[in-house]
Amino acid sequence: MRVSFILNERGNVLLCAICTIFVVSLIAANVLLNCTARYNQASNQVRSWNEALYAAESGGDIAYNEARKLASDSTNAFSASNGWTTSTNPDGSKTYTSGTTTVGTNGLRMSQSVKTFYPDTSGNAWCRIRSKGTSPLQGLKRTGMDDRLSNGNRFSANGATRGDGDTLLRKIDFKYDHFTATYGDWFTGDSTKTIVAVSPAPQLSRRIELIASPITPFDDVAIKVTGNFYGLGSAAYIDSYRSSAGPYDPSVKTNPSDPRYVDSQSGSVQIDNATATVMGDIYGNLYTNGGTATKKTLNVHGTIDNNVPFTLPSFTMPTNLPAPQASPTNINSNITVTPTGTAQTPTVYLLSSFTKQLTINQNGSSQTYVAIHLTSDFTGKIDVKPGVHVQFFINGNVDVKAEDLVNETGYAGNLQFYSISPTDGSPQHVNINSPGNLMATFYAPGADFTMNGNPDVIGAVIAKSFYGNGNTSWHYDRSLDSLGEPTDYRIASYVEDIR
Amino acid sequence: MKLTHRSHQSGFTLAEMMTAMAVAVLIFAAILTSSLAMQKTFNAVDNYFATHIQQIRIIDYLNRDVKRALICTTSPNQQTVTLTIPKYIIQSGDPEAVSNPSLVGTMRSPTISTTTSGVQVNYGTTTSTVVYAINGNSILRTEDGVVTTIASSTDQLVPSTTDADLTNTEYATMAVTFTPIFTSGNVAAERTGTTVFSLAYLRNKRRG
Repeated sequence: MRVSFILNERGNVLLCAICTIFVVSLIAANVLLNCTARYNQASNQVRSWNEALYAAESGGDIAYNEARKLASDSTNAFSASNGWTTSTNPDGSKTYTSGTTTVGTNGLRMSQSVKTFYPDTSGNAWCRIRSKGTSPLQGLKRTGMDDRLSNGNRFSANGATRGDGDTLLRKIDFKYDHFTATYGDWFTGDSTKTIVAVSPAPQLSRRIELIASPITPFDDVAIKVTGNFYGLGSAAYIDSYRSSAGPYDPSVKTNPSDPRYVDSQSGSVQIDNATATVMGDIYGNLYTNGGTATKKTLNVHGTIDNNVPFTLPSFTMPTNLPAPQASPTNINSNITVTPTGTAQTPTVYLLSSFTKQLTINQNGSSQTYVAIHLTSDFTGKIDVKPGVHVQFFINGNVDVKAEDLVNETGYAGNLQFYSISPTDGSPQHVNINSPGNLMATFYAPGADFTMNGNPDVIGAVIAKSFYGNGNTSWHYDRSLDSLGEPTDYRIASYVEDIR
Repeated sequence: MKLTHRSHQSGFTLAEMMTAMAVAVLIFAAILTSSLAMQKTFNAVDNYFATHIQQIRIIDYLNRDVKRALICTTSPNQQTVTLTIPKYIIQSGDPEAVSNPSLVGTMRSPTISTTTSGVQVNYGTTTSTVVYAINGNSILRTEDGVVTTIASSTDQLVPSTTDADLTNTEYATMAVTFTPIFTSGNVAAERTGTTVFSLAYLRNKRRG
């Protein structure tokens, strides 16, 4: 028998193929690795970093919405039923703290704190809102590939050495909250450093601080009505000044080189109506709701905006005033009083009628604060002596002459009239007749306001409607812009803590 | 029994060898060319995305600072942006820190002031100045004299920012472009095609 051994030595083809596949696979793996890292950085990290800000700003909106309730619905502001806890600070201010809210499909979280503070003399609370937004980081736990910026300093839980590139910008918390570990508690300002593990890990957080300032009734507007507007006379004008910067000077409004000029152009008129008859010169802005006012037919020296709708909330009697005095209970004869009220605890008079003159003297050299609540119509006279501050709340109508309202303080804000809105919607009016001049403010969102004659007016009017056909010279005092009870809040400042 | 060991040790003819070598050279040339092309493509794509990430970073830096700025100004060539930013954190050397060093790193309490343009919220009496500028291949962010390189690329990254100052608001539009390394002619269209755009409003624009 013959046995044959046949040798086929052709394995080098398979080896070459395997090597080629191996090299190509290496290249593909390298490409995949880099692409994954780039995608992780460009998509996941950037997205989470931006979403953390969205969460923080959403939290700021939640807190701001509660702050607005301080003006419109104070009993339900920052309520426990909405997850808020309240604490009183040593200086009497309040701190409201929310729980953590989780929203969205990406598990964004937000938490807020609000601290009230009183930076001016109006007595109105401002709100310091802090909001933290957190976004879980999807994808790889990598700080990025900042190879072009590399200086050998990738990442360090050290406030002075935060790495570079994306690491420096986005500050990802991989296991621990870098902020509390480096700076302490952001909400309270306590600088005690604590190591806090984050969950879920990793995540990104951003922190913003907003300041909500109160909007008061006479903020930057001379006349504001929700209904019809007619006025003033064709030779009338409305300008402005700032009493805290000096007395009124009629020449300033047409002299741009005067440093007080910027304060002379705020004699604005705001009408929440499409139809209005506006005459005279307005050294300020004119706002309507769908009107067609143009500068061709009007002498408006500021901006005309015909798309400014607004609402005026009804005015109700404040509930935070002290108990009223035992007397007087009416002004049916001329009466002089010397109350002792302060800004925090004004002297309160509850009156059933007011047909004669009330003279209010200053208590020595002290600034004297008075609140009057009249439950019927006002047809009498009032004389406010220097150093006296009066808030006059009226349930009924007002029918007086301008000369019946004597304000000797030189500041319109020291004689404030508030018409309490009728709960049944019945008509209410304020009629100011000639003769005489006027220095006062009127907040009457439910009343029709009429001014007859050609008075010189220093002050502001908020009403349901306005009618005045005289050649009035009207001067809005910009010092009124923080006067009175808040009607709303606005965001006045935005800061992000980028540490 | 007789064992016969036969082996096929016959060689190739010269023609066969020449043909095989020619085919092999062609195959290896194709592999080499493909590999080089793949490598170049990989480098180009990798470089493109690396620069793209830096584009996003520049935009995010600018966005963050514009939003919290009080004032924004841009140079005529739109490549230098100067921002005035509230000084929220007490820093070493600040007046409060001189009298009480333990305050360094803490947040300032806001105060308000009445100006001709209305009530303003202030954090301290001074502000920080942040400048974004191009320096060679790098984009620099300088805050109160401290320089940080926020992006660097040989692809000629160019941020372009304009700010629009309106009656009661202000916003900045930002666009960052670069020239990818694999572009053939360095024409404008190739740069335009890389544009990343963003717009941010100044949240602290002070209203009158």
